[in-house]
Amino acid sequence: MKLDIVFSGVGGQGVVVLSDIYCEAAMLDGFDVAKAEVHGMAQRGGSIVAFARIGDKVESPLIEAGKADVLVGFEILETARALPMLKKNGTVIVNMKYIQPNCMISGVKPKKTEELIAMLRAKAKVHEVDGIGIAEKLGNTLVVNTILLGALSALPEIPVKKESFQQAIASRLKEKYVNLNLKAFQLGRESVLMS
Amino acid sequence: MTSKIAVNKPGSFALLNGDEAVARGAVEATVKVAASYPGTPATEILEALAEVSKEFDIYAEWSTNEIVATEVAAGASMAGVRAIVSMKHVGLNVAADAAMTLAYTGIEGGMVIAVCDDPALHSSQNEQDNRYFAVHSMLPLLDAGSPQEALDMAREAFELSEKLHLPVILRLTTRVAHGKARVKLGEFQKIKRKPEFDKNSSRWVMVPSNAIRQHRVLEGRLTEAKKLANDSKFNVVEDNGSEIGIIGSGVGYYYARSVLDTKKFSWLKLGFVYPFPEEVVKKFASKVKKLIVIEELRSYIEENIQRLNFQVCGKSQLGLEEIGEFTPDNVRQAFASLGLTAKAEKQEPLDLPPRPPALCPGCPHRAFYYALNMVSQFVNCDNEKCVGCDICEYACSFEKEKVFNPLKSRIRSVRIGQTFNTAVTCKACKDAPCVAACPEDALTQSQETGVITVDEEKCKGCDWCIEACEYGAITLHPNKNKAIVCDMCQGDPKCIPLCPESALSLTGKSNDKIVTGDIGCYTLGVLPPVNTVQTCLCMGAGISQAAGMVHAGVKDKVFAVIGDSTFFHAGMPGLLNIAYNKANVCVVIMDNSIVAMTGHQPTPGSGKTAMCTDAKIIRIQDAAKGLGIEKVDVVDPYDIKATTQAIRKTLDYNGPSVIISQRPCPLLIEKGTPREVLEKCNACGVCVKAFGCPAIYLSSERAEIDATLCYGCGVCETVCPFEAIRRKEK
Repeated sequence: MKLDIVFSGVGGQGVVVLSDIYCEAAMLDGFDVAKAEVHGMAQRGGSIVAFARIGDKVESPLIEAGKADVLVGFEILETARALPMLKKNGTVIVNMKYIQPNCMISGVKPKKTEELIAMLRAKAKVHEVDGIGIAEKLGNTLVVNTILLGALSALPEIPVKKESFQQAIASRLKEKYVNLNLKAFQLGRESVLMS
Repeated sequence: MTSKIAVNKPGSFALLNGDEAVARGAVEATVKVAASYPGTPATEILEALAEVSKEFDIYAEWSTNEIVATEVAAGASMAGVRAIVSMKHVGLNVAADAAMTLAYTGIEGGMVIAVCDDPALHSSQNEQDNRYFAVHSMLPLLDAGSPQEALDMAREAFELSEKLHLPVILRLTTRVAHGKARVKLGEFQKIKRKPEFDKNSSRWVMVPSNAIRQHRVLEGRLTEAKKLANDSKFNVVEDNGSEIGIIGSGVGYYYARSVLDTKKFSWLKLGFVYPFPEEVVKKFASKVKKLIVIEELRSYIEENIQRLNFQVCGKSQLGLEEIGEFTPDNVRQAFASLGLTAKAEKQEPLDLPPRPPALCPGCPHRAFYYALNMVSQFVNCDNEKCVGCDICEYACSFEKEKVFNPLKSRIRSVRIGQTFNTAVTCKACKDAPCVAACPEDALTQSQETGVITVDEEKCKGCDWCIEACEYGAITLHPNKNKAIVCDMCQGDPKCIPLCPESALSLTGKSNDKIVTGDIGCYTLGVLPPVNTVQTCLCMGAGISQAAGMVHAGVKDKVFAVIGDSTFFHAGMPGLLNIAYNKANVCVVIMDNSIVAMTGHQPTPGSGKTAMCTDAKIIRIQDAAKGLGIEKVDVVDPYDIKATTQAIRKTLDYNGPSVIISQRPCPLLIEKGTPREVLEKCNACGVCVKAFGCPAIYLSSERAEIDATLCYGCGVCETVCPFEAIRRKEK
């Protein structure tokens, strides 16, 4: 068994923490785990990609282009950017948030949301998640990444148990945030299960 | 929450990155003193140790630089306890003076130098391969290829160090240090040591007679080290009876395993790489017909095997470079070229707008750079937007003369051919030719702003200045017959807001000053649209490079930009040097009171130690004055006006000066109220083109601020020429 996931987003969105929790959950189910991150020099606002590999035995932390099973995107443009990592007919979970880069500086024409989503659909099964919309219902926009984790947990290709995800969330976060995040996890899960 | 590295369950698993694994290995080996200077990707080693310092009775410190850290660890080791010093690869250059001679003195308590190389320069200025530092210094080196190896090697390195009486280098690379994996934890050894220093030993005193003796001792220790390398459990053979043997080290070895059918090859993973384990390699090589070497950066293993007279299939045969890092993709390509695995499917590149790194929203460095860029400025016209309506001329003549008469305007609308429109006005040239041309000395130029002033008493209307101006920015007043030229309305030109096409803007003059840079977040000031920083060499270099340029005789004013932590690290000797040797350099110390780029470690200006105890705050202004600088100004970079004034004052100051730009890193304080863009925004783009905050972007009609990204610093309010940005109302 092996499953390779690419997480992508913009620095500051919680890409690293989320991929950590996913790996912790997989370890609870006895999987071997290796992961890595690619990020620029900036603390905030640059592209960030995290690779998470689980399986019976994982040799190295990086995923080859075109070999990832699932892509979890925290932001639409960065999801599209990571698309070459995904295998044909792989699965994409995309948070419907678009952070426009400064195209004035690069002199490149900006891309519209619809164009980017069309790119994703051309290659993969796409689950659009309204992370901020769901988070606002819970009264805290900081739980968007836990919502995405819930959505990820609901995919049929994920071999990690729901309970292990919940346990990993509980052990990683401060106690006062655990209940809120477990709710967010459940709503994220339902957003995929109901679609 | 207890730290992951403090869990006392030998045999259990934890998700650790390579740095945390090194820290865990050190704790298992009963390390007593740990010192480091923050540097990506090595920072988390000391962070993890500091977090458990109380629980395991460890002293952990952020030292002011890597050689200081190395000497602290060496002192602890000389007193008999186990010590670790950690740093990024280039930190070892700083520490080299101590490390080279520590090889001679040797050590007492086990001492580990953990160093993280950065192939592909994810956040570094070079990609040196520190396996060659081991060769250079003659210190044994273990090379970790995974977090598990990092833990096992760290623990073992202390034993090895004590057996050999030498510091042992433990090398990681970025993918190991910052990659995370399931790591099996070991036992806490709980070794008891009484700290004592042997005052009578001559081996600590490296005067020539002792040093030459110790050099011989080192040779003997290396012979012993070679034996240990050949017996090391970190040199692992997997003999699958294949004719092809693959030898590798580091993470590259594991990429090879992940792209190949491992059973079809025999494998030798080298972990103890200096001294080179010749016997292990000879034995392995003699069992196979073809040897392939897979190693990142330089061809260290390949060269050593060639020295043993074996044929090797190495970098050039595999089509791999000594530059950059390996990935499973380029390793697959290498083996596919030899027909040993399948080729990768080609991935079509996507045409997407880039998201280049940028200073964060709210970053005080951006605000300071904006002020520095705007120190000398002029009214610029965007030709693409200008329609030749002449309204700027009317605006100017009305402002200056209270009449609508283009002939009395200081800005001139120009049409070239059918379609090309623009407006010209004074560019505030450096050493303005118009000033030099005036035979009556009627024209003078402000040192501070570059603005030209005409003395009407002296001007005779001779036209010479008009001839001298290559932009056609000076005209004669039709009635007075005196030269008239743009004075920029005291920095607030009235033509700009009245331009219906938003074609006019105040633009900073680039290339009128030299700005040397240094290492830190503020190095990002090299990128557009900031474009301020012109050099970056190594920690502390900017100040002295600036001094060198001044002594070479450059005409431009030279600024040297350096962060607070870099100043404490390596900037102080440079500052003392320019104070004593009198170089006309303005040193700008960007003081955010933290090491921001590596994830917010305390500096001597923070008031906290690595172990979170209180410390006396060392004030940079006191340090600068103590080092002999007489002109020291402290500014708040969010106050663009005051900052610009402080910078201007240094322009005609002839001597070493310091400006301290002081603001905490916004990531450490609560976000302020976000800003919003009002309806009246006309999409002039200054906030995006000249300021470049990542929270602001241009939609088709106007600028927008992403409230989730905005830190509420409010500097964009000052930057906007049209007062179209304000505090967001709830």
